[in-house]
Amino acid sequence: MVTVKTGKPSQPIIVCRDVVAGYGQETVLHKVNLEITAGDYLPFIGPNGAGKTTLLRIILGLLRPRSGQVITPFRNKPPGYVPQIKNIDPLYPVTLFQIVSMGLYPKLGWSQRMSREDREFVYKTLDEFDLLEHASKRYAELSGGMRQKAVVARAFVTGADVFVMDEPTSELDENSEKEVFSHLFRLSREKAKTVLFAIHSLEHIAETAESICAVNHGCVTLMPKSEFMACREALLRSQEQ
Amino acid sequence: MLENLYGTIQIFGYAMLVGILVSAVCSILGVFVVTKRVVFIGITLSEVAACGVATSMIFHFSPMVGAGILTTIVVAILAYPFESTRIPRDAVLGVTFVVAAALSILLVAKSHFGLEQINALLYGNLLFATETDLLAVSLIMLPVLVYFFLFLRPILYTFLDREMAKVLGMRVILWELSFFFSLGLVVSAASRVAGSMLVFCYLIVSPAAALLFSKKLHLVFVFSAASGVSSTLAGMYLSYAYDLPTSQTIAVSTCCIFLGAVVYFFATRLYLLWRK
Repeated sequence: MVTVKTGKPSQPIIVCRDVVAGYGQETVLHKVNLEITAGDYLPFIGPNGAGKTTLLRIILGLLRPRSGQVITPFRNKPPGYVPQIKNIDPLYPVTLFQIVSMGLYPKLGWSQRMSREDREFVYKTLDEFDLLEHASKRYAELSGGMRQKAVVARAFVTGADVFVMDEPTSELDENSEKEVFSHLFRLSREKAKTVLFAIHSLEHIAETAESICAVNHGCVTLMPKSEFMACREALLRSQEQ
Repeated sequence: MLENLYGTIQIFGYAMLVGILVSAVCSILGVFVVTKRVVFIGITLSEVAACGVATSMIFHFSPMVGAGILTTIVVAILAYPFESTRIPRDAVLGVTFVVAAALSILLVAKSHFGLEQINALLYGNLLFATETDLLAVSLIMLPVLVYFFLFLRPILYTFLDREMAKVLGMRVILWELSFFFSLGLVVSAASRVAGSMLVFCYLIVSPAAALLFSKKLHLVFVFSAASGVSSTLAGMYLSYAYDLPTSQTIAVSTCCIFLGAVVYFFATRLYLLWRK
């Protein structure tokens, strides 16, 4: 059993204690202990099938752990979430603006009408992602990259304190990928938002992330980036030999 | 022509009002039946409602209650998220349809009712709609319509992206169950007076035409309801003028609107291509 904590002294806002999780007969996460503090900018790195998505789904409350305890602040304020697989069916006659506006639900609830400020906020967010000119297009008419940006923009519109993103840039070109990560980093540094995201490559976060959450075969290890890089170098060298 | 129109209104009376209400409400709810890709649910719920009526005939209680109870049970089963199971929802709908269709005939086979009477009781006929039918249908459909538009936002978000809706704090099971429950109520009430074929037509054909006509959700609702109501009125008029079976004439009228929508859709596509 390994307990991992991010290096900051403040109280943790997300805690996983002895979490075991899986699907059917298969166990994906083995007794995970994890503490995440407010303002963390934490990438979850690991190969396919390592358990990154499962861990994020456990944190979000989308999957119940078989045993263990998960404590999150999401009952009071929902997180901004970007799923790995986009679940939106293009058959629905909804515009990009409507998709992004969905992020305002925690604020508006089922009954409150959107104010002018809310609309402006959505348009501003769309503009930040170069989506403004496509605001009235149907979701079905958008390219894969635009759809990806739309769900990222929707997460930002929530105004959440915690962002959970599962491979948020998998369908974006290099420039857009850089923009999204710099936006996420700014949110973490300037507004003390907690940003958790699963990725495969360290390329765009090598300079920004201080710690890495390495997920492998259902085991989770939090380590400083330098240590993670050294381990990876050693592993690559041994594979070459 | 005016004589025919006056004759249509006189002959159909309550049937016309019931037809307008049933077609509008079914066509509006049908938009989500089509977009959620559960098209088969319309015909299945109609058969389940018929089975409930058959049960009520055997055990002597109100047909509306029989249809309502059985439809509610089936709706509760269908609200289960089948996406994560080994059997798709369509297969469950298929099994339910077969069981309900066979059971409703088996239940009344040995009863003292004649074939025509059984057909009318089980599958309804818009022409025979009475003042009581209008009242019963209004008592069910109007509250459902109010519920639907009042809670359109969480219902839409739940159907659009279930996982995100859950993360945002929506009670997705509640919204799914309540939608399918209201759909069940509407279908069971509508099938009793309009017949399962016509209800299925309103649930599927009108929304499909509306989806081809517009890209905006609120306009899709308007077009869908307008398509259902106008085909009902046109069908009634044509059936009176040319002495044709009413339900089938309405169904064909709805399909003509759908064909019109298909032509419009491709014509606009071609026009846009030509302009480029």
